[in-house]
Amino acid sequence: MRSFLPAVAEQLFKDIQKTYEEKSQIPDDLLIALKFVFGSCAVQALDLVDKHSVTCLSSPSGRKAFQVMGGSGRLYTCFTSCHYCPCPAFAYTVLRRNEGLLCKHLLGVYLSQAMGLTQQESISDQDISTLLAGGATAS
Amino acid sequence: MADILTHVFRTCAAQSGQAPHASGGQSSSRSVLLVGDRGTSRSVLLLAALSAASQGRVKVLFFTRTQIQSLPRSAHTCLPALSPANLKMIKFYYPQTVEELQQQVASLHEPANTSPTTPSLIIVDRLQSFLCTQGGGGGGGGHGHQGEQSRAAHLSALLHDTAAFLTQLLERRTPGLAPCRLLASFQSDPEAGPADPGRPDPVLAVLDRYFPVQCRLERAGGYLEEVWRVNLTGTTEGTDHADAPQEWQLVVSPDGLIEVRSV
Ligand SMILES: [Zn+2]
Repeated sequence: MRSFLPAVAEQLFKDIQKTYEEKSQIPDDLLIALKFVFGSCAVQALDLVDKHSVTCLSSPSGRKAFQVMGGSGRLYTCFTSCHYCPCPAFAYTVLRRNEGLLCKHLLGVYLSQAMGLTQQESISDQDISTLLAGGATAS
Repeated sequence: MADILTHVFRTCAAQSGQAPHASGGQSSSRSVLLVGDRGTSRSVLLLAALSAASQGRVKVLFFTRTQIQSLPRSAHTCLPALSPANLKMIKFYYPQTVEELQQQVASLHEPANTSPTTPSLIIVDRLQSFLCTQGGGGGGGGHGHQGEQSRAAHLSALLHDTAAFLTQLLERRTPGLAPCRLLASFQSDPEAGPADPGRPDPVLAVLDRYFPVQCRLERAGGYLEEVWRVNLTGTTEGTDHADAPQEWQLVVSPDGLIEVRSV
C-alpha cells in the first residue's frame, strides 16, 4: 500500500520496522508519534497486531488480499494496493467526514507488516475472488 | 505511452488535420475518471477502447450496463486503420448490478481471464449507473449517501487493485504492454441538472480520492452542433514533466459525428 499516505506516516512505519527488527518492541517515542499521527486508532491497531489478527491471503494466481479479524470476530477484507475497509469507521471517519487517514484495521495491516507479524494463508482463486468482491467464503 | 485519453484526443485531433501538440506533456497516469455528459462520455470511452485495440496487441475489457448497439460514427474517421480483427481484442461485459460488476472484476485475476492475453485496459462506463441506483442496497455498508460512498470506495479500490495485479502480470509476461490502465466515466445525478459548485456530489468526492487524474467534459456552447471543452487535470503527480492542464474541444454534430480539436 504505497503513495496514499503522507510522508510522515511512511517514515514512521519505516522507523517502526527498523527498531522492531532490532529490539522486538516499539520504543516509547515511536508509540507517541504513532498516537500523534493516528489518534485513538493507534492503540486499537496495536491490539489487533498483538492478537495476530492480520492475515495475508494469497491464491495460486498470485492475487493477494489482507484479512483482519475485528474485536467482535468479524472478518474485514482489505486490498494490498490501496485503502479500503468495509468497516463502519472507514465509511464514516475516512470517507464521509474526511477526518482520519485510516481505520484501525488498515493501520493494523501497516503495523503488522512493519513488525513482521502478518499470518500467511493460501486460498483458492475462486475464494479470493469472492472475498475481493465483498462476499464471504463458505469456510 | 501517453495515457489512453490523451492518446485518443491526440490521434483524433491529428486525423482532423490539426497538428498534434508538440510539447503537451506526457503523463504516466494509469487511471483516469471521465466526468461529464453521459452520451458524449460513452462515445469517448468507446473511442478509447477502439484506439487501444487498434494497436493490435492490447486486450481491452469494457464494462457497461447497456448493450452497445453500434460503434461511434467517428471511429472510422479517427481510426482509419481499424480492422475487424482489432475489434476482437475488446471484450464486453454487461453486468446489471454493482454486485455483478464487482464479481466480474474480482475474478479477472483468474487464469481463464488472463491467458492467453492479459488485459491491459479496463473501462467502466457510467459508474453512476452502478453506484447511485435507488433501492439497490444489497451488500450493506449503511444507508443513503454513506452506503453509496462506501460502495463507490469499494468498487474504486477493487478496480485499482485489479489493475495493479494485472500490471504486475504484464510486466512479467509482456513488459511492453504494462501497465494495465483504468478508465471510468461518471456523471453526477442527471436529475439534479448542472452540478451545484457549492455542494460537491458525495459519490464524486469519494471517486476523487481514488482517481486523482480526471478528464472533465464541460458544455461550451453550440446549437446545432454541441461543443464540449475537455480538460485533463491532475496529471502532474509523479511525472517528470511539469505539464499544464491539457485542453481539447469536442465538437459533436447533430448526426453524432465527433470531431476533436486541440486548443
Ligand atoms: Zn476498518
